Amino acid sequence: MLSVQNVAKRLPDGRPLLKDISFEAKKGEFIGILGESGVGKTVLLRCINGLTAPDSGDVVINGGDTVVKVNGKRGQELRVIQQRIGMIFQGSMLVKRLSVLENVLTGRLGRISTIRSLLYGFTEDEMTVALEQLERVGIKNLAHRRAETLSGGEMQRVAIARALFQEPYLLLADEPVANLDPKNTEIVLDYLKPLAKEVAIVGVFHAPELVSKYCTRAIGIRDGVVCYDGSPFISPSKLEDIYGTERAVCTTSVA
Amino acid sequence: MKTHFKALARFRKALLPVFGLSLLLIGASAVVRLDLMDLVRGLPRGLALLRHMVPPEWSAMPRMVGPAIETVQIAFVGTGFGIVLAFVFSLLAASNVNANRALRELARGIMSAERALPDLIVILLFVAIVGLGPFPAVMALSVSAIGMLGKLFADAFEEVDPRSLEALAAVGASKMQVIQYALIPQVMPSLIANSLFRFEVNIRLSIFLGVVGAGGIGSELIMATRLLNYRTALSAIIVILVLVMVCERISDALKKAVIGHEVLQ
Amino acid sequence: MKRRSLFNTGLGVVLFVAFVWSLVDLGISPRLFWRGLPHFFRLVSEMFPPSWEVLTEPDILWSVVETLSMAFLGTFFGAAAAFVLALWAASNLTPSRLVRETVKALMAAERSMPTLVVVLVLIVVIGLGPFTGMVTVAIGSIGMLGRLFAEAMENVDPRPLDSLKSTGASKLQIIRYAVLPQVVPSLIANTLYRFDINLRTVLFLGVVGGGGIGFHLHLAMSLFRYADALAITAVILSVIWMAEQLSNHLRSVVIGRETLR
Repeated sequence: MLSVQNVAKRLPDGRPLLKDISFEAKKGEFIGILGESGVGKTVLLRCINGLTAPDSGDVVINGGDTVVKVNGKRGQELRVIQQRIGMIFQGSMLVKRLSVLENVLTGRLGRISTIRSLLYGFTEDEMTVALEQLERVGIKNLAHRRAETLSGGEMQRVAIARALFQEPYLLLADEPVANLDPKNTEIVLDYLKPLAKEVAIVGVFHAPELVSKYCTRAIGIRDGVVCYDGSPFISPSKLEDIYGTERAVCTTSVA
Repeated sequence: MKTHFKALARFRKALLPVFGLSLLLIGASAVVRLDLMDLVRGLPRGLALLRHMVPPEWSAMPRMVGPAIETVQIAFVGTGFGIVLAFVFSLLAASNVNANRALRELARGIMSAERALPDLIVILLFVAIVGLGPFPAVMALSVSAIGMLGKLFADAFEEVDPRSLEALAAVGASKMQVIQYALIPQVMPSLIANSLFRFEVNIRLSIFLGVVGAGGIGSELIMATRLLNYRTALSAIIVILVLVMVCERISDALKKAVIGHEVLQ
Repeated sequence: MKRRSLFNTGLGVVLFVAFVWSLVDLGISPRLFWRGLPHFFRLVSEMFPPSWEVLTEPDILWSVVETLSMAFLGTFFGAAAAFVLALWAASNLTPSRLVRETVKALMAAERSMPTLVVVLVLIVVIGLGPFTGMVTVAIGSIGMLGRLFAEAMENVDPRPLDSLKSTGASKLQIIRYAVLPQVVPSLIANTLYRFDINLRTVLFLGVVGGGGIGFHLHLAMSLFRYADALAITAVILSVIWMAEQLSNHLRSVVIGRETLR
């Protein structure tokens, strides 16, 4: 379970990007965050993960037995928290020269000692679990291929497998289908959607159609604040609130 | 137990290279009598050396100017002749300049043979032929340029768009005119950059050649250390460092001045 | 337009005048060349036939092994040190600007340091011998390899670094699993290239007392034993040729296999 409370973040030049963002996410929810490009959706996800520190506000993650505040943590303390937050990035962020399996295994680097990871690597048990995760996204057969030989859709499925391998309390997805064709978009999101039953998912999307098709809830951000929070089926007038007039007209006509 | 076996199996792939490398390292260490204690024991000697070196013999500085200039002259003249030689060889070796395949292969062969030839052999040969002094050094530097500069020049020539050469040939320009008006202008920045780089290499070589009797600042340094005149040696070292840095700066400035224009053109 | 061509012409004239002045000042003239010609013929006639029997001397054979060992170890330790320094010099791995600039300045200073200076100082500190040659070569490799390694690290795709960071991986783990895989081909190629340079440097070090086959060549030439010198030269050339073949082979095996996998 995730609770974002009054998060604010300024750009390096001092302009406010996120002013006051609050929302909660529970297991079973697949939240789609919408907003114009440049509104700070990615920064918000990075604040939740701790890659970026918010200027103010709190990010609290409740993993059932443990409740932790992400913000304000640094170094080892932060890394312990990050180990249980899966993150799927826009485009592929895989290490291209490692194999698919190795890429999945890197998901648990934070949990094993640095010395072991440098000298020995991963155990058989960890490999077995990693292979299971690959099987869940339907690409176990690619485990020993090099990541750079994969298609964009396959790479994103590897990214999902890596996030699952982390045994996350929370899954973050930053435009996971941004560079994919419609068919691969469907495949990737079809694998992602059912995972919401086990763990809350917060995703950033560029297309409202995808949110209404796959998400259980939508959040719209405009001018640094939450301007919409509710059903993924967003009415045209609400879309206008999120995107401004022109874009809303354009997207509704496409949808 | 089973997982242990599997873990070992995973290592087997890496075992041979790691084992081979370790063996090589151990063997080579024995050959060079690698002994870290040598370094530890050297520490007080290094400190003592420092004490004997500082302050540098400032009065020796004026004596160093002549040899320093000589070193630069050797590098400069050697680079000049080297450029000429390399230019001739590279024209013969470039497929878009020289249509004669046999001659081309011959030029390429000579260049790669020269590249394989260590500079030490070249310089010792010239010392044996023409005696000590700057002359063999200049000749060695010139000949050494054939391999390295010649290849870089020839590669630059071959990268030139052949259509631009044909266009000139089509209006009845002679071979020499094509080279002068179509080829050279296009490769000039690369020729200059590589020549300046060679000059920097030659400065270092020219310093080292003092060891085999070419004169210059390198000779001053080695003489001073042989006579255990460490303060004079430090003076020579300072002059050498200044020399190298000044030459690098000049070379950089020239590169920017000449190529900067060309690129903007 | 005018000013530029004026500048270039002026520069050309200055360089040409400097060239002629240097020629005259060094006392170089074609006469010297003609005077050397008879020496050349005598040299050639004395070189042949090469006295292959020197190659059976254990001293010479040992010095070949010594030369290769010096170059190999020097390259190995130089590359290892360069790798660590490069981590501190790469802008994407070391946030502190002060550390980065300091390490970069050190490496640049090393690049400007002529080998002759390094070896003469080390001879005083460590003494004559192959170990000194090895350390000289190692130090000489740091500046160039350090810069090349740092450039390779700075050019890696930054996104995998971020994604590993998001999973809570430590700095060393990120270097091992995201940076290293990306830079390995370039590290290997540059190290092998440096080995070739170092082999030639070691030959030179023989002249100042670093040992190795370069010493024996210099000795033979100084004692006018040209037939011996030719045989030694043949050995040097074949060693260099073999080292190059081996290095090409290694490069294609390691890098080729990586790409094919």
